[in-house]
Amino acid sequence: MPMLLNGADWATALVFVPLLAALACFLVPRAADWLGVLAALLILLATLGLVQDLLSDGPLRVAVGGWGAPLGIDLWADGLSAALLLMTALVGLGVSVYAPGYFAAHPQQQRWFWPLWLLLWTALNGLYLSADLFNLYVMLEVLGLSAAALTALSGSATGLNAAMRYLLVSLLGSAAYLLGVALLYHGYGTVDIALLGQRIEAGAVATTALLVMAAGLLLKTALLPFHFWLPPAHGSAPAPVSALLSALVIKASFYLLLRLWLDLFSGLGGLLAALLPELLGLLGAAAVLWGSVQALRQRRLKLLIAYSTVAQIGYLFLGFPLAGVQAEEVAWRAVLYLALAHGLAKAAMFLSAGNLLQFAGHDRIADLDRAVQRLPLTLTAFVLGGISIMGLPPSGGFVGKWLLLESAFTQGRWGFAIVVLLGGVLAAGYVFKVVGYAFTPTEIAQEGEAVPLRMQWSALLLAFGAILLGFSAPWLWPLLGVGDPFGLPIAEVGAAR
Amino acid sequence: MSLLPLAIDLVLALTLLWLAWRALNSPDLFRAVVLFIALGLVLGLVWVRLDAVDIALAEIALGAGVTGALLLAALAKLQPAASQTDELQTAELQTAELQTDQAAVMAPIALRLFIALLLLAFLAGLGFAVWQLWVPAPGLSNLVEARLDESGVAYPVTAVLLNFRGYDTLLELAVLLLALIGVWSLSTAPHLGDEEPEPALAALSRLLAPLMILVAAYLVWVGAYAPGGAFQAGSVLGAAGVLLRLSGWRLSLSATGWPLRLVLVLGVAVFAFIGLAVIGFDQPLLGYPPGWAKPAILAIELAATLSIGAILAALFIGGRP
Repeated sequence: MPMLLNGADWATALVFVPLLAALACFLVPRAADWLGVLAALLILLATLGLVQDLLSDGPLRVAVGGWGAPLGIDLWADGLSAALLLMTALVGLGVSVYAPGYFAAHPQQQRWFWPLWLLLWTALNGLYLSADLFNLYVMLEVLGLSAAALTALSGSATGLNAAMRYLLVSLLGSAAYLLGVALLYHGYGTVDIALLGQRIEAGAVATTALLVMAAGLLLKTALLPFHFWLPPAHGSAPAPVSALLSALVIKASFYLLLRLWLDLFSGLGGLLAALLPELLGLLGAAAVLWGSVQALRQRRLKLLIAYSTVAQIGYLFLGFPLAGVQAEEVAWRAVLYLALAHGLAKAAMFLSAGNLLQFAGHDRIADLDRAVQRLPLTLTAFVLGGISIMGLPPSGGFVGKWLLLESAFTQGRWGFAIVVLLGGVLAAGYVFKVVGYAFTPTEIAQEGEAVPLRMQWSALLLAFGAILLGFSAPWLWPLLGVGDPFGLPIAEVGAAR
Repeated sequence: MSLLPLAIDLVLALTLLWLAWRALNSPDLFRAVVLFIALGLVLGLVWVRLDAVDIALAEIALGAGVTGALLLAALAKLQPAASQTDELQTAELQTAELQTDQAAVMAPIALRLFIALLLLAFLAGLGFAVWQLWVPAPGLSNLVEARLDESGVAYPVTAVLLNFRGYDTLLELAVLLLALIGVWSLSTAPHLGDEEPEPALAALSRLLAPLMILVAAYLVWVGAYAPGGAFQAGSVLGAAGVLLRLSGWRLSLSATGWPLRLVLVLGVAVFAFIGLAVIGFDQPLLGYPPGWAKPAILAIELAATLSIGAILAALFIGGRP
C-alpha cells in the first residue's frame, strides 16, 4: 500500500486531511469525535509514510500547482521538518484521544474544539512543510487565530482575558514577520527560502528583516522578556488545549525562527550575525533560571506547568550560541531532541493536570490529597513526563541535555553548562513538590470524580513516548540528517532531487 | 503641470497621517471608528495613485467597509455591556481594563520618553532599510506576465491568486472561516434589529439588495480580465446580507443549521476538492489540467464569493445562530 503513494502525496495528505476533517467536523458536529480521531490516525500514517520516503529517497521538494519557485509555492521536507511533524502527529493523536473524555462534560466546548484544533493542526503541518516565506505567514495566521480561539474556549473571565492578550501578541508577531517578508521580497525579488538563501547579502535590508522577523517570532515563542502572555493563556485554557499550546504551538514559531536563521541569516556574517546568537543564548539562560524559579513558587498545578514551559523554551535558545561559533551540529541536534522531548512530556503533564482537575475539581497543589493512590496512572504519567523535563536518563530530555552539555564542554562555555545543570535541579524541585503533595493526605479527605481510562492512558502513553525518545537515537539520528538541515544551505541540496 | 500630482500626493500623505493620529488619539470610540473608516477610504485613494487598483478596491471594500462595519457592530455591543454591571464576567474584564488604563496613564514620563525614543530609533532604522530599497529588486511581475497564457485567465492578479499561488488563497479562505468559527465558539447571536425597521431603510434595502447581488456577480466575472474577483465580490455580497439583516430579514430557522454551514464552508471545500481531484488526472496538487483552468477558477471563485459573503455577514451579526 505505501508503495502506491509517493512523498508528495504524503505531504499533501498532511495538510489536506486535517483541513477537510475540520470542515467535516464543523458541518456534522455529532460525528466530530470519531472524525477527529480518524483524522489523527490518518495523519500519523501519512507522517510515517513521509518519514519512510525521506529516509529512503532524501529530502523532498514539491511544486504546488506545478509552477515551481519563484512563481509558485514550493513545499519542502527534510529531517528537521520530519522530526517536528512526527512529534506533532504523536502529541496530536494523544490529545485527540483524550479530548472526547475531557469535553464529555462540556458539549458546547467540544463542538468548537474539533474544527479549531484540526485547523490548528493544518497550520502546524503546513508550516513545517512550507518553503515559501509568504505561505509561512499565512500558516502563522491560521495558527495564531486558531490557538487564540482555543484559549478562549473555557469561557471564563481569566480565559477570555488571556486569549485576547494572546491574540494581540500573536497578531503583532505576525505583522512584524510580514514586515520582514516584504523587505526581503523587495530586496531580492523572491519569497522562496532556497532562492533567497542564494541571493541574500549582508546589508541594511537583511539586517532589518532579520531583526523584525526575529522579534516577531520571539514574541510568539515567548522567550523570556516576551513570555508575559504565556502563563495566563496556557494556565487558563482547557487542559487538552494547554497541552497543544505548550507542546506544539510554541515549537512552530521556534522552528520558523530556526529555519530562517539556518537557511538565510546565519551565513551573512557581520556584527549582528555574531551578536544575536549570544543575546539569544543569554535570554535563554535567563529564561531557564527565572521560569524554573517561578514554577517552584506556583500554587496551582497548571500555572506551575506553564512556567516550566517558559523555562524549557529557554533551553531551545541555548543552541544558538553553542552552534553559532563553530557551526557545531551537535548543539542543533541537542535542541531538536529537547524540543521533541518537551513536546511529548509537556503534553503528558498538562493532560495529567487535566485529569487531576477533573478528579478533584481544582488544581491547587497543596490539596492534591493522596492523588497517587487514587489516580496512579495519571501520577505515573506526570512523573515520567517530569523525568524527561528534569533530564534524567533514559529519557529524551536526558539525551538533549547531555548533547547540549557535551557541546558546551568542548567549547569551554562553562556558564551555559552550569545553567543546563541548574535548570535540571530546579525542575526536579518543582516536579517533586507536586509528587510530594500527591502522596500527602490533606486534613479533610476529598471525594473525587471518576476519570475515564482513555484520559489516563493517553497521558501515560505520551509520557512513555518522552522516555522512549531516549532510546530512539539509532533511528532518529539518520532522520535528522536527511537534507542536512543544519549544514549546507538547502538550495544546494534541493537541486539533488 | 508636474506640480499637481505632487501636490495631490502630498495632501493625501498628510491627510493619511493626520487621520491616523486622530483615530489613535480620540478618546471617543465612535469618533475613532469613523476616523478609521475615513482613513481606509483615503488609503484606497493612495493605492489608486500607486496604480494598484486591485488593492484600492480591496482596501475600500474590506479595510474601510467591512472592518468599519465590524468595528461599529463591536461598539454597539460594548455600550450595553458597559451599562450592565450585574454580569460578573464583563465587570471583571472591565476592572482589568480599567487597571491597565490607569497603569498606562500613570506610566512615568521617563519610561514613556524611553519607549518613544526606542520607537523612533526603530522607525529610523526601518526608514534607512527602505531607503536602501529605492530601486527594488525586479519582482515577479515579468514572470507572471510571461506565463499568464497558461493560467487560464487574462488578468495577472487573478492568475496569481487563483492559480500561481492558489495554495495561499485556499488557506486565506480557511482563515476567514476560522475567524467565524472563533466568533461562533464565543457566544450566540444577539437579537439585532428585531424591532420594526425604518420604512426608508426597508424601501432602500429592497432596492439595493438585488443591485448589490448583481454587482457581486459582475465583479466575479470581470475578475478574469480586469480588477475584481471573489474577495471584492464577496464583500459586496456580505454588505447586501448586512443590509437585509438590518432591515429585518431573517434566515428561516430550518436554514440556520447545516444549510448555512454548508454555504460557509463551500469556498474552502470546492477549492480543496478541485485541488485534490486534479491529482487523479496526473496533475500536481492544485495544478489544473490544460484547458480546464478557466472553468475551474470560475467555479472556485463563485463558491468562494458565496462563502465570503456569508461569512462576512455572519461576522457582522456576530455569534452563532
